[in-house]
Amino acid sequence: MNENILELRNISKSFGETKALNNVDFYLRKGTIHGLLGENGAGKTSLMNIISGLYQPDRGTINIHSRKINKLTPEIAYSLGIGMVHQEFRLIDSFTIEDNLKLSKANIFNKNFDDAYKKYSDIFSLNTDKKRIIADLSVGEKQKIEIMKLIFNNSDIMLLDEPTAVLTPQETEQLKIALQKLAIEDEKTIVIITHKLKEIKEFTEALFVMKNGEMVSKFIDSKSTSTKELVEMMMGEATTYTVKKDNIRSEIKLKVENVSLKDPMTNIKILEDINFEIQGGEILGIAGVSGNGQVELANLISGINKIYEGKVLIKNEDVTGEGVKSRKKLNFAYIPENRLGVGLAPGVSVIDNSVVREYFKTKTALHLSKSKTNKYLNNLVDKFSIKSGNPKAEISTLSGGNMQKLLMGRELTINPEVILASQPTRGLDVNSVDKIHQLLVEQRNNGTAILLISEDLDELFKLSNRLLVIFEGKIIQSFETGEMDISKVGLAMAGING
Amino acid sequence: MGNFFLSKKQNVSELSTFYSFLIGFVIALMIGTIILIIQEKNPLETFSLMFRLSLGSVNSFTSSLNKAVPLILAGLGISIINSVKFWNIGAEGQIFFGAIAVNYIYINTQVTNSTMLIFVLLISGFVGGAICILIPAITKVFFGVNEIITTLLTNYIAIGITIYLINGPWKDPGSLNFPAAEYIGEEVYLPTIFGKLSFGFIVCITFTVIAFYLKNKSIFGYELRIAGGSELTAIYAGINAKQKAFIAMLIGGGFAGLAGGIELLGQTHRLSTGISQGFGYTAIIVAAITGMRPIGIFLVGCLFGALSIGGSVIQTVGVSTYIADIIQASTLMGALISQFFFNYEIKRKENA
Amino acid sequence: MLDIQLIGLLNATLQAATLLFIAALGELITEKSGILNLGVEGMIAIGAVSGFMTAINTENIYLAIIVGILSSAAFASIHALVTVLLKQDQTVSGLILTILGLALSSLMGKEYRGKKLNVKIESLSNNNEPSNFIEVLMSQNIVFYIALILMISVSYLLQNTLFGRRLQAVGEDSKAADSMGLKVNRTQFIATCIGGAFAGLSGVYLTLSYVPYWTDNMTSGRGWIALALVIFGGWKPYRTALGALLFGFLEALVPRLQTYGFDLNPYIVKITPYIITIFILVILTIYKGGRTGAPKNIGIPFFRENR
Repeated sequence: MNENILELRNISKSFGETKALNNVDFYLRKGTIHGLLGENGAGKTSLMNIISGLYQPDRGTINIHSRKINKLTPEIAYSLGIGMVHQEFRLIDSFTIEDNLKLSKANIFNKNFDDAYKKYSDIFSLNTDKKRIIADLSVGEKQKIEIMKLIFNNSDIMLLDEPTAVLTPQETEQLKIALQKLAIEDEKTIVIITHKLKEIKEFTEALFVMKNGEMVSKFIDSKSTSTKELVEMMMGEATTYTVKKDNIRSEIKLKVENVSLKDPMTNIKILEDINFEIQGGEILGIAGVSGNGQVELANLISGINKIYEGKVLIKNEDVTGEGVKSRKKLNFAYIPENRLGVGLAPGVSVIDNSVVREYFKTKTALHLSKSKTNKYLNNLVDKFSIKSGNPKAEISTLSGGNMQKLLMGRELTINPEVILASQPTRGLDVNSVDKIHQLLVEQRNNGTAILLISEDLDELFKLSNRLLVIFEGKIIQSFETGEMDISKVGLAMAGING
Repeated sequence: MGNFFLSKKQNVSELSTFYSFLIGFVIALMIGTIILIIQEKNPLETFSLMFRLSLGSVNSFTSSLNKAVPLILAGLGISIINSVKFWNIGAEGQIFFGAIAVNYIYINTQVTNSTMLIFVLLISGFVGGAICILIPAITKVFFGVNEIITTLLTNYIAIGITIYLINGPWKDPGSLNFPAAEYIGEEVYLPTIFGKLSFGFIVCITFTVIAFYLKNKSIFGYELRIAGGSELTAIYAGINAKQKAFIAMLIGGGFAGLAGGIELLGQTHRLSTGISQGFGYTAIIVAAITGMRPIGIFLVGCLFGALSIGGSVIQTVGVSTYIADIIQASTLMGALISQFFFNYEIKRKENA
Repeated sequence: MLDIQLIGLLNATLQAATLLFIAALGELITEKSGILNLGVEGMIAIGAVSGFMTAINTENIYLAIIVGILSSAAFASIHALVTVLLKQDQTVSGLILTILGLALSSLMGKEYRGKKLNVKIESLSNNNEPSNFIEVLMSQNIVFYIALILMISVSYLLQNTLFGRRLQAVGEDSKAADSMGLKVNRTQFIATCIGGAFAGLSGVYLTLSYVPYWTDNMTSGRGWIALALVIFGGWKPYRTALGALLFGFLEALVPRLQTYGFDLNPYIVKITPYIITIFILVILTIYKGGRTGAPKNIGIPFFRENR
């Protein structure tokens, strides 16, 4: 059986000026586990959205079951057996497992539900009663239910977006075995979409690799391709570092001492004994797969979370247990991971969002001067070349890149001495990424201490003077400028200290 | 349906609220016309009569403005609370509570200077309204209890307490058919400043300006907007979102309470169930129709005040007074529907 | 043999509870689909007046009931149009429905004020002087039994059938429901109209049996109580019925307090259910970690992420 169950040819898709997909080919073979590899922003999600009918491609042809599909809508995709597990689960939290599996109109196991449930929960090593409420399940269990949902809905083509991101090593192993069984016994066609190298070789038989909206490798054999080759395909040739790292450094400006944090509800350790310091003129990168404690670390350094063990010092001043304002006074700037929702308030105007940092500096505590805020915004727009349109329009009318430039500009225009930047370029187009990297380097050259938390190794390698790798809340390895090596860092991110 | 989807328009004109109000008003007048034709009344005559009786003379004009006062004040309060995206369905109860507070202080006060006393009583009205929203405010801000429901329920509690008071402790033995508290003394009647125009209208203008400043020009209003957009952004900015939202709710309740006080001191001169005839509910319409803008609330409040006066006088010629309510409600319904077309586009999915 | 006054109290409780319960059950269905409709008061009024008008003109009681139900369902479809299809604010739209419904019903019923009804809704037994609990139950008219049947069937439908679970799935998480291939807009539209139909039945019960005559604003806040009942009942039909009995009991008790020689102030007694409801809502929110039973998506319009 060598027929392609799904075949996409020459697919292109643009959003405004950004080309998300450029002449992409993608095809799947029945009963096979495929991998789709690529960094964030490489175009994986856009491609999957086209396959599930959410986006219409600008150009290209789609064949499913050897039939040409002129217009793929979510309904048609669904009826053709295409199902996707998204990173954010689409389960109804207050309902039981049984309900979640049964409610879909496409459910094929209504009559013999119990038998089917037993069969597949065995395959997935899911030891839980069908009457349990989704909200009470662990993340790993929810993931299993999500995949089972596809099976119950008669999906033959299963697209799994970063399925291992939230799993423990044991669960990852269980998932691997389960997917292999499904591919062989039920002839399911499976796609694992990921930017992680570690499991993809073990999980899959054939690989596709994307970079910058293009398919750089098609249907290559997973087992015979080395990790090093994959890294090169995914990241391109070793980046030529245009950022010089021999700039002058000054005294220590940010110091984190013995910081630990426990989840107050479960008492599980989220951060464990974190120690580092950053000099002026230095960028310290923190690499790690998301969900390993980065968000919590950023929250406590920025003063949003005040309860933790250990100490945080900014410019030698102990700010442990103090809030956001104390940090602002010390010229600390924070670019949070959630641009819209934390850094910027959705539903509020561009002008209001532009003064979030400075508004309280007006002389009278009562009045917010319109002329001052306007001047301030115009200044930002000029200085950081932001395309902002109507200042009274909602912030969400800006593009992601312009939003991030506004947020960065707002935080950087005060010439901060310490910057915490968390995932500053996630989801942005190439031009915006370059601009933001420039801004960070400029700040560094001015003697600012920068903590850069990112998942993007390219970015971290390009900018960092030093690199720490965080895994399960611990710093498990650190690299100096000369020592950074993609495979060593990659291994450390997977928890293997080389 | 599968071939269409909604997409939010990128650039919505700032005047869209105004246009949709106009469209809504025209739709409402058309509905009113149809109803009048069904009832075999001449619509043109009726509307012009309504116009004359509500705006045509100094006397009618001023009573329209007086009628607008509670709508405007309660509407302003609702708009202040809405800055943090909370609803206040309890303005009706807050109006009553404001009036109760005024009557309570009036009975128990030692102040004799009448100007001073009026001032104290107006403040008590404000405080009364704030007290009425206290429980919903605490439970919403600190425990996340749905404020739509709690404010709604406080209406019935406030009106219930009013009925209790006017039938019990404060009962006026002289008022036989209509239960009410005793009349207040003439020394605390709100003065009229121009014809029948009550001093309450001046208070109302002042508070419109205050609300406008608070919402649009002040740091406090700014902090409310940010907190309303995202509580996390507020924390990130160092704003104590909970505290600000709590204060905003009390102020909003206070505005409605003040309206109750003005009704008692300036219009009814005694506490009864007639203190409000659904002003608190109509105020929500007034506030919503203007997109929560204070100046708009003032203008629409005046128009709706005139409509109410017009509506109540045309019953003398055999037209139902409810025509005014219908026009008010249909205006908002029409405005809501046209808002949709200003804010969204219905797009067809392009072919692959 | 029961005390004649107790019989009266029991009878009045059941009638008041029936009226409140039917409207509350309708609102419960609407809210389960994720749509909040604050227009119950207006919908009851529309059902009440149109049923009454039909009864006067045709003297056909069943036609009157059907007309009342259909008018309110049609009236509720305005809310469905504005909130489900046009995605406008549910709070505002519901309030307009109340104001519009009250005004429109007063306008429609102008000529019918004080008119006498010559027909009435049948009861199982024509016993005018019931002497024990069973006989009181038997002497209730068919709407009471319809309410019982509705209570049992709605509870069963919601809990045990795919249809009911799908309705709730839409109200819990419309995005997830959409990804399961469920028709979110259609479900919400229909659930809103069903809520209207129930309010209409409650309305015709008011004018054709409970009172029975027509006067302006005769719903006198019952629609708002129905809304409170849904919360009181934690969005569960049986608990809502229990709440309706409590509210109904208090409504029946108030005018009788003096005859019983209780030194309770009737006006204070009348507001206690509202205080209890706030209290219950607060307790549920705080101690059940937000699991009040309220559908999670209530009040939030559904958009599909397409482009």
